[in-house]
Amino acid sequence: MGDHLSASASTQSPLFRKSLRLNIAAKQALFGYAILLPTLAIIVIFRFLPMLQAFYISFHEYDLIRPPRFIGFDNFIDLLQDPLFLHSARVSVTYVVFSCVPVWVVSLALAMLFNREIRAKNFFRSAAFMPVVMPAVVNAVVWTFMYHQDGVVNTILGWFTLDPIPWLRSSRWALWAVIIIGIWRATPYYMVIFLAGLQAIPQEYYDAAQIDGADAWGQFRHITLPLLKPTTLLVMVLSVIVAMKVFAVPLIMTGGGPADSTRVLPLFIYQTAFEFFKMGRAAAMSVFLFAAVMIFTIFQIRLFSRGEE
Amino acid sequence: MRRPSHRGQTLVTYLLLTIISVIGLLPYYWMLSCSLKTNENMFLVPLQWFPNPINWSAYGDAWRAQDFTRYFLNTTFVAVAITLGNLLLASLAGYSLSKFRYFGRGALFLLILSTMMLPLEVTMVPLFLIVKKFDWPNTYEGLIVPFLVEGFGVFLMRQYLQSIPNELIEAARIDGASELRIYAQIIMPLCKPALAALGVFTFREAWDMYIWPLIIVTKDSLRTLPLGISLFMSSFGTAWDQLMAVAAIGTLPMVLLFFFLQRSFIQGIAISGLKE
Repeated sequence: MGDHLSASASTQSPLFRKSLRLNIAAKQALFGYAILLPTLAIIVIFRFLPMLQAFYISFHEYDLIRPPRFIGFDNFIDLLQDPLFLHSARVSVTYVVFSCVPVWVVSLALAMLFNREIRAKNFFRSAAFMPVVMPAVVNAVVWTFMYHQDGVVNTILGWFTLDPIPWLRSSRWALWAVIIIGIWRATPYYMVIFLAGLQAIPQEYYDAAQIDGADAWGQFRHITLPLLKPTTLLVMVLSVIVAMKVFAVPLIMTGGGPADSTRVLPLFIYQTAFEFFKMGRAAAMSVFLFAAVMIFTIFQIRLFSRGEE
Repeated sequence: MRRPSHRGQTLVTYLLLTIISVIGLLPYYWMLSCSLKTNENMFLVPLQWFPNPINWSAYGDAWRAQDFTRYFLNTTFVAVAITLGNLLLASLAGYSLSKFRYFGRGALFLLILSTMMLPLEVTMVPLFLIVKKFDWPNTYEGLIVPFLVEGFGVFLMRQYLQSIPNELIEAARIDGASELRIYAQIIMPLCKPALAALGVFTFREAWDMYIWPLIIVTKDSLRTLPLGISLFMSSFGTAWDQLMAVAAIGTLPMVLLFFFLQRSFIQGIAISGLKE
């Protein structure tokens, strides 16, 4: 009797079927957690916690030897009065502005060029893309060589009867030398992103515009630009963040000199932390950099979404 | 009436394309040609555009001056490990976040996303302190583990996997396939294009890594190629032929990767435009 009851209850009752389904759902959820776990562990330990800890350390004085000492906002106040830091921030802003704006224009122009019917397109596109392929350190080494007083850059300037420029030896020119490399390397990268954006615009739009008698400029102004807006925003945000991080090229080419003219913020952070062992101060600088990245990203997204209304 | 202007336009287009190609390729040409020059011919006026005589000794000399074989193997090992880690972990996490229902899924995804735009330059100080706690400076673990997965890869795989119909997974479950088997034999093969693009992208970034090895590696036996090259430059700054030879060898794997996996290489860049 008892056997019979339990057997029928276990196979037929809706309660059982529900618990069976729940059991399967729980098992699947467990599997879902399990395969997310390694990723979560790494992201939390090596990305998320350091982000929080950067804030914590920035309120301390810490030289890796003595235990950290809480000093409140002193690091931030010191930094805002430190001419070296303000200079470095200025260098970074100059680098970002003058390396990014040309990249936006040129990479879009290149993408439009490569979006047309061209013979030997693959060859030309690969050639234009090659700067992305060169590793950053190699990039720095080769360009240092090319910027030599009797090097290839000055030789080419000579063809146009321009005087040789003491690129990396003069505090007036060194930052421009670094900016030129930044443009050279970043342009094809964003060209590819723009190209993907362009290819997503249906050809019918252009056909219709042509029938309506729109010229090339009108098509660009009223079809390409508006439809490319999400891509443009993305390129702007990405390129500025990448430019804010520039490090290997100035470190290797000039070490930040001459006369601090190429000491961008990441380089200054690195030197403060790992050459002068002022961890708290370096962390405070990172917080400024972080804030700049955030404010800029939000500002740009706002700017673009307002235009849409 | 249209033809001449059309032809003129074509001419301008190809002229432009040629100039762009020259600008893109010049540093490569210069690196190669100068690695084959003798050091006396390096800064001749006028410039020697083609090496004469051709001199191959720089490659051997540079390779013997420092343990570049070791640096090369270190970089290869680290980059391969990071790439495999990213492919495995990002696809697992993306699969979990797109196809499984559980408590806290949205919040966990946001947590991962929030680290996506975070530059290493912001976190390098605390990251160094954490890695130091693990006692990992001057170890392969220190070079590899913090980079085994990135928010971007997870985001990418999640987006990609969302387009795969759930019915496919349900059908496999009804057939009695285990969850792991579904992932390995159904999900992974479907993700091939995304995995290829992510793999090439990650490998390129890992091959390029400079600031992090600079911070945590001081032992010669753990130096990566970028460290080796920059060290060679600061200690043998005038041996330009050798420096260019080393640079050329450090670039070769990237060039090969580009030529053999061109589609995935470019796709890898194009998808980095997915971050929104």
